[in-house]
Amino acid sequence: MAAPTSGSPDAKPFDIVATYNDLLRSDPDLTMPIAAIEALVLLLTHSPSSTISETLDLLEKSTAHLKQSIPNPIGLSAGTDLFQRYLITTLQRPGQLGPAGDFNAIRAHLLSNGRLFIRRAKESRDKIAAFGRGFVRDGSTVLTNGGSRVVASLLQKAADEKGGPSAVRFKVIYVLSSAKKNSDEPEGMETVRALRAKGVPVSTIPESAVAYAMGKADIVIVGAEGVVENGGIVSRMGTYQIGLLAKAMGKPFYVVAESHKFVRIYPLGQYDLPIEQRVIDFKTEEDVADEAKQQKAVSTETSDAKAVNTADSADVVDFTPPHLISALITDSGVLTPSAVSEELIKIWF
Amino acid sequence: MPSNSVALTPGLASFLKSLKTNPIDTSIDDLISLLKRRQIRHSRSCATATAYLMRSVISATRTSDANKLIERVQYVGRRVMAAQPREMVVGNIVRRVLGLIRDEAEDDREGDFTLSEAGSESQPQTPRALDDPSEVLSYRHDGSDRSSSRQPFTSVSATPISMFSLLSHPEPETSLPGTPASASPSGRLLGHSHNKDIRAEVLDGINEIIDELGQVDDQIAAYALEHIHSNEIILTHTSSTTVQKFLLKAAAKRKFTVIHAESYPNNHEATHATVSGQAPKDDDMLSTEAFQKPLIALGITVILIPDSAVFALMSRVNKVILGTHSVLANGGLVAAAGTRVIARAAKVHQTPVVVVSGVYKLSPVYPFDFDSLIEYGDVSKVIGYEDGDLVDQIDVQNPLYDYVPAELVDLYITNLGGHAPSYLYRIVSDHYRKEDIIV
Repeated sequence: MAAPTSGSPDAKPFDIVATYNDLLRSDPDLTMPIAAIEALVLLLTHSPSSTISETLDLLEKSTAHLKQSIPNPIGLSAGTDLFQRYLITTLQRPGQLGPAGDFNAIRAHLLSNGRLFIRRAKESRDKIAAFGRGFVRDGSTVLTNGGSRVVASLLQKAADEKGGPSAVRFKVIYVLSSAKKNSDEPEGMETVRALRAKGVPVSTIPESAVAYAMGKADIVIVGAEGVVENGGIVSRMGTYQIGLLAKAMGKPFYVVAESHKFVRIYPLGQYDLPIEQRVIDFKTEEDVADEAKQQKAVSTETSDAKAVNTADSADVVDFTPPHLISALITDSGVLTPSAVSEELIKIWF
Repeated sequence: MPSNSVALTPGLASFLKSLKTNPIDTSIDDLISLLKRRQIRHSRSCATATAYLMRSVISATRTSDANKLIERVQYVGRRVMAAQPREMVVGNIVRRVLGLIRDEAEDDREGDFTLSEAGSESQPQTPRALDDPSEVLSYRHDGSDRSSSRQPFTSVSATPISMFSLLSHPEPETSLPGTPASASPSGRLLGHSHNKDIRAEVLDGINEIIDELGQVDDQIAAYALEHIHSNEIILTHTSSTTVQKFLLKAAAKRKFTVIHAESYPNNHEATHATVSGQAPKDDDMLSTEAFQKPLIALGITVILIPDSAVFALMSRVNKVILGTHSVLANGGLVAAAGTRVIARAAKVHQTPVVVVSGVYKLSPVYPFDFDSLIEYGDVSKVIGYEDGDLVDQIDVQNPLYDYVPAELVDLYITNLGGHAPSYLYRIVSDHYRKEDIIV
């Protein structure tokens, strides 16, 4: 996500893509949907539109633009959709903020409360940790992966819960993917260190050892980039196989996600996600040779191209279908996958 | 429903009798010790006892302050729940009573609000729930346990559309007056009446719960003809009255065969009695179940089998109908030991598994730790003390319950109708308030 996109048209005085990326970079705790909402709020600040349809039109255009310029807009679209729906329902509702009221009041509310949204989003992480701490039992071993901040906060809360390093009695198996090339350590190392500092025994394993290690794990807890309509999740590449293995071995598989990550898409399978990922790339000897030639031709840009490539391969996602998920731990409680669609329907209709 | 208790031993009947005369604190202690000594067992007896106790507690608490009422119920509820944490229905009833009080309190508060507005403007605000079409939509009436007049509109608006909570106003109800609607003098009246008899309303609600507990089996049985067809072979387990009534209802119209696993060693005597129709005079049962005809009297072929034969016979069974002890929020259930074996065998043979259970058994508790749900019973039922030598040398266990995961169940039939296990979360959220899940 962090890859800076330079191709935005600079005709606009306000660059939403840059704002979005800046927001994500400036606060490592910020999730994609919240950054998107923030960016849209800032956009409203910068554009003095006074009518409703003008505002909605602007939002729609900027959202489309933002989605196009980001390699994986699934997580982001949860935020933009939520924001759009919020605006529309507030406008439709008669009352203090509705048509009878002042449109400027809504604007003022949104603009003045930008920080509040971020704070609430972070608070929801604590809420999830409170709901989820019951899942980490004494003497259990938790298998987890990726760099999800919610999972990290849940596990750390569970470690704190037991009162100091001496009383901690759960273990963590942390599945680490190979390190990104632009940073020297794999994602999740920070969490591993934090947990170890709290006295939790953590073992790190490569992704190839998941099946081997699953027998030692009691539960699996993973994070998600987006929760889709049927209750499945879009998450870091490798989550699907962990889900399959957990199911095969009869281990409960829990997903931790804030409810603002619920996205309104309905993927039918791995290859039905609305994003372009070049994970499976068939090549013959000829193609490889061609590519090598091309790369030599643009040797000046090699380093740049490589950076983009690696960022891509580190950010690929897969889809974990709902039947592999035991429950979703969200800030609105512990939900079964089928409860997700209801939660989504509530805001759309 | 089995019970080994002889008439006049302490139990549900004696507790209900003493409830009228004893002071309330004695009654609370009474129920706690009855639960601890397992002299009240079975979900429905526990639920009934709790509901009656709650009714007494509320009528004995002389306050119109909802918060004090909630505190009192929470205090009593916590003690009673702690007495027998595995009887989850006790907690369920306590939570429902708390929910009732909260609903009433919110109605009341809204009444107050309209009153204060009315005082200055003489035009009360429209009820907020009607302002928002999405709230009306998102709310679905199941018409089971609460009269529609006291439906928790307020509970919906109190916890607004959860995904929007991120963006909503810090205080959604600021003093800005909304569009004044047509004057509704009833708002004023409503506020007044609520202020006065919040307790009476709650007591009415508890009476409804008690009524529900009495009717639940018949309500479930009403769905029997949809599920049992002619010449089917039905397998069941334990002497659950809910299942028996279900089968009896179908037997009045259809001919089918019942295979009854005897559920040794905890329930076999009661099961034998149910099958043969010689139900013992049962102290716990206040109703007419003791006089009920057995299935064989209606011309149904009943085959009693040992539990070990379940798998062998499963290939010939069309449907498995099971009773349960309690149902958990994730769709799993805690039922008499042996249930999981049956459910698993049914899965292997692709036989549908139907669980009949009243909504009162549905608990909002999420089973974090399955082992802690299982209760262990009297070992002497497995090996008597005449085999003392043996007992010395081996470890004997007699688990009373099984945890059956949701994926082994195909359908739940409650007094509200048939539901898929994955739908149970919805019924949970309809019946219990979020803030009461942890009492």
